[in-house]
Amino acid sequence: MAVAGAAFAFAANELSPRGLDLARNYFPSGAGSSVARPNASAPAPVTTATNENSAAAEIDQRVRDKGLQPLDRLQTERLFHDPRYDDGLIVFVDARGEDDYHDGHIPGAYELDPFHPDKDMANVLAPCQIAVQVVVYCTGGDCEDADSAALLLRDAGISREKLFVYGGGFTDWTDHHLPVARGERNSPAAPAQTK
Amino acid sequence: MNGVAPRDGVAPEVAGAGSWRANAFALGAVAARWLLGGLFVYTGLEKAADPVAFLKLVRQYDLVQSAYLLNAIAGALPWFEVFCGLLLVTGVAVRGAAAALVGVLIPFTAVVWHRALVLQAARGIPFCAVKFNCGCGTGEVFICGKLLENFALVLLGVWLIAGCGRKWSWRYSVIPPAAGK
Repeated sequence: MAVAGAAFAFAANELSPRGLDLARNYFPSGAGSSVARPNASAPAPVTTATNENSAAAEIDQRVRDKGLQPLDRLQTERLFHDPRYDDGLIVFVDARGEDDYHDGHIPGAYELDPFHPDKDMANVLAPCQIAVQVVVYCTGGDCEDADSAALLLRDAGISREKLFVYGGGFTDWTDHHLPVARGERNSPAAPAQTK
Repeated sequence: MNGVAPRDGVAPEVAGAGSWRANAFALGAVAARWLLGGLFVYTGLEKAADPVAFLKLVRQYDLVQSAYLLNAIAGALPWFEVFCGLLLVTGVAVRGAAAALVGVLIPFTAVVWHRALVLQAARGIPFCAVKFNCGCGTGEVFICGKLLENFALVLLGVWLIAGCGRKWSWRYSVIPPAAGK
């Protein structure tokens, strides 16, 4: 029974269009080949300023541990308003997946789902090669999809020096009522989401 | 001799009551089979529909070091549940399917329990107030309710392993019993 079930299960995973690639490391650590994992005792969402600072410091450290460079919101905002953003010299990459991207993303950001990179990589790679700074973000907090997407870009040939991860992510962005666009890339920017 | 002789030494009214009870028992076992099977088909398909989300949840448990094993668990387990659930619903190889599901349920209940203890310690809240997405296919749940639910499911599974749920099964045993048994 167990053997028949396992055979069915692996075959179904293989045939499913959403099936996992068993040989791939979906959570690259940036150094070794083992699975990088989050802090098992991650505390509940924090609310005080001190806890927020401590959480942000933890995220920054996690990003640095993977050989990537963290960015805070103010730095990200500055890059977003930099004239080079419109010239394509600064590129934002959204790593949250298709549905979340269409529900709302930072205006002008490219989509790169690190779990299905084949779909987006061709569109993202060329602009990232031209850019002098690439900012990758996901939901923020415990979400490590931005790290994974940044490492994918690094492995695809984008220099580590120009790759940045916005640790606060989209949650932090919308919490501060910054511009959000919906739908496909370069849809008109929608007003900031209200909580 | 007057009237109808008792069959097998049992008075007709008593035999009728026993038969009613036996029927209720058999129907209960069928309901258990369908409930357990249907639940696993549902939760298995929920996980299989978004294997990446399930992969992230399985990773939280810190079960394995190898990326291949992690992917294998997250990629195959939902379909394994669907497979066993379908066997239970249709009544094929019922005892084996129930045993396989109980074999999955018990270790996963243990790791869910352990994870809840870790979260309880980190959040400093009562055990039963711990609520999280355990990767069970039903979203965020309170731990005590989840543990009770799993305990009940294990009991249903053991009941089926004991040989119940034969009624309306398509092929209860795939391997025919040996002659003389």
